[in-house]
Amino acid sequence: MFSYFIRRLFFVVFVAWGVTFTTFFIANVVPIDPAIAALGDNAREEQIREFRERYGLDKPIWQQYLIYMGRLLSGDLGNSLRTGRAVLEDLKEFFPATLELSVAAFLVTLLLGVPAGILAALRQNKASDVTVRILALIGGATPVFFLAVLLQFVLARQLDLLPVQGRLDGFTFPPPRVTGIMGIDALLARDWPAFLDSLRHLVLPAFVLGMFSAAILARMTRATMLEVLSQDYIRTARAKGVPGRAVVFRHALKNAALPVLTLLGGLLGGLLSGAVLTETIFSWPGIGRYVTQSATSLDFPAVMGVTLLVGLVYALINLVVDLLYAFLDPRIRYA
Amino acid sequence: MRLIKAVGLIAALSLGGVLAQDRTQTLIYGGDWSDLITMDPQVSYEFSGGLVTDNLYETLVKYEGADLSTLKPGLAESWKVDRGRDTWDITFRLRRGSKFSSGNEVTAKDVVYTFERALAIKGPGSFLFTEIAQLKPGATKAVDNYTVVVSIPKTASPGSFLSILTFNIGGIVDSETVQKNAKGNDFGKEWLTNNSAGSGPFRLVRWDRGSQVLLEANPNARVKPKLQRVILREIKEPAVLRTALESGEIDIAEGLTPEALRALSNNPRFRTLKADSLRLNYLGMNVKEGSPFANKLVRDAVRYSINQDELVNGLVQGNGTKIQTLIPKGLLGYDPRTPYTFDPARARRLLAQAGYPNGLEFELLVSTGICGGGIPCADIAAKIQSDLAKGGFKANVKAIANAEVLRTYRAQNHQMVLVGWSPDFPDPDGNATPWADFNARSLAWRNVWNDPTAIRLANQAALETEPAKRVALYRLLTDYVLKNGPYAVLYQPSVPLGLSVKVEGYVRNAQGQVRFENISKQP
Repeated sequence: MFSYFIRRLFFVVFVAWGVTFTTFFIANVVPIDPAIAALGDNAREEQIREFRERYGLDKPIWQQYLIYMGRLLSGDLGNSLRTGRAVLEDLKEFFPATLELSVAAFLVTLLLGVPAGILAALRQNKASDVTVRILALIGGATPVFFLAVLLQFVLARQLDLLPVQGRLDGFTFPPPRVTGIMGIDALLARDWPAFLDSLRHLVLPAFVLGMFSAAILARMTRATMLEVLSQDYIRTARAKGVPGRAVVFRHALKNAALPVLTLLGGLLGGLLSGAVLTETIFSWPGIGRYVTQSATSLDFPAVMGVTLLVGLVYALINLVVDLLYAFLDPRIRYA
Repeated sequence: MRLIKAVGLIAALSLGGVLAQDRTQTLIYGGDWSDLITMDPQVSYEFSGGLVTDNLYETLVKYEGADLSTLKPGLAESWKVDRGRDTWDITFRLRRGSKFSSGNEVTAKDVVYTFERALAIKGPGSFLFTEIAQLKPGATKAVDNYTVVVSIPKTASPGSFLSILTFNIGGIVDSETVQKNAKGNDFGKEWLTNNSAGSGPFRLVRWDRGSQVLLEANPNARVKPKLQRVILREIKEPAVLRTALESGEIDIAEGLTPEALRALSNNPRFRTLKADSLRLNYLGMNVKEGSPFANKLVRDAVRYSINQDELVNGLVQGNGTKIQTLIPKGLLGYDPRTPYTFDPARARRLLAQAGYPNGLEFELLVSTGICGGGIPCADIAAKIQSDLAKGGFKANVKAIANAEVLRTYRAQNHQMVLVGWSPDFPDPDGNATPWADFNARSLAWRNVWNDPTAIRLANQAALETEPAKRVALYRLLTDYVLKNGPYAVLYQPSVPLGLSVKVEGYVRNAQGQVRFENISKQP
């Protein structure tokens, strides 16, 4: 088990390297000058030359890559061309907001997806099953931006129930920044109005972001549950007189959990990167918005920093999923 | 059940808490502030940066309201320009009793420190001091506590320098506070990125990057604001901006779409505004040897082919003003005349005269992005293309990324290009020199237009200190460039804004400055 863990960890490092290599070269293949993009039309020729020298943009691409990798190994992601700050500083600033949103969206995914899937499986072909399937179809097919604008229009503008943007109301003073996660910071400061306000602001974006994966999860849960429920041991359990609820939760669900778990890992990673659109629509100051802005201003170090971070989180999630696998199913052995 | 009750109770309490706050004391201003990267006045060179620092720092001289042609006293109660032997010597007399937010008095040493700081830091806007004003280290001297003399070479324009001082870079910092927070030789650059040390009506309380900026009334300020707090909310999506305004989450929305503006103008709860900008959208024609545009008749034919009225009223939907000369409305020397009328027959005649009886084919370079006034550049290009066709031209539109358009333009590799220009500082010279002086290596140079008359007029006007004479020179220059230059100016875009009717005293000048101290909110 330990050697397996080490091997997987090595794999994570390899993935990270692959991510930097690919993004670096893709970013630099774009035949556009980042100096002009950063400095704009009014920049003087000297300013542009100075900018290129300062960020090493005047060097051949392989040299730039070696410099980047050298810095990366010492934990330095370089400086953003747009903000001039260390990319690491920017990530520290923006990642907590994305994490908060993704985790909330993940909860939405779990709380909607799993029960809906189980319900549908237990009531196969009945009205509730059909409803779940239709909703899942709609949820999986509705683009994020459409759902977001629709909900903003109905819930915020027409009914005035929820805010449409930001993490806090303008009239609520933000709590002191500790973790960067608004809800937790408000709790730490025992600032109840800010805490509730931050929850209110979280509802719409989390729902919009979680909806798509909830739909996928519901369909997956339904399918695996149906498969498990048709197995011999379930029939045996029922024949033995085990109560229905126990059959579902103790026997069926545990065995259906494995494939669902794999999917969950992917979904959580997807939520992180899927936050790009949602964050823009809800003015959520996370890495999604940061990376779109960086990409449009050809800020390669920033784009690479975000890609590397998301790639690492993705790889780590997969690692955790694999380890959980072994834990949940003792039959899975790792040599 | 108990949990639900508890949550309900907390919710009610929190709601009460929120309502108890005086909303008339807080202004929430929404817009795309994503270009905000520093709060340091000597480093900040972005629009949003200027919007904030203008309210945190005072400058020696300033503009008031929407008028960008008359300088008004700021920290300096008076100033005069003297002709020295090799220099212009500008003497500023400081007002007594102006205080920084720290409580320190603003004195001449702070002015000297600020100007030396700007030269030492070499921020993105430092060329305004070093190149335009040709200011050297040591050229700013404190005569006494309240008198400062700045000497700039005779080759620089005192008028330009004074107007540069109204810009972020001229914001006077509290030398004592800044030095106390300096790290090594950084002149407090790192600290001032996230903090303020000015004498403006507001001070910076908090900046959550990508989300909001919190300003609070500066208790020591000479100019007392009507509001206690101003919050800048960063909202990039125009649709969200509109919804946030309508739901009362923000009081002012900057950068709405033409559709949203129309819808809001029919709603009695809101007021709409089209604030001027100093931007000009124009066509640039490369006149290098061998290019068809080297012939003045062809350039004239282009100017007679464009139906500017249709463009401004139809496509731009009124989010811009018709203009043909190179100094935008709002600046000294603005010339409202528009002698080039849509006359395709005349264009064809001119084209035939120039030796192109069967028309002329060329490439029109545009950005894939949005042009001033919120209109996709490609839409404007399509309109220009169809207008030009009536005048006998065949323009092949090539749409590429903006940075690439600019790169090609800078390399003089275009035939015709559709771009915009904003002056670096609110003085006619901010347009005249780049547009007319080939040696400035800016727009005239990019279009390979080396015209001695234009160069002479631009230099002469820049150095003229007598306002009336200056206006007369700019009249000559703008008229000359209009008829001979390599440009066809299309329109001056405006900035569409929506405001709650409760907001009073809001003015945005063409430079993008908003003085928050004049704004108040009705209950």
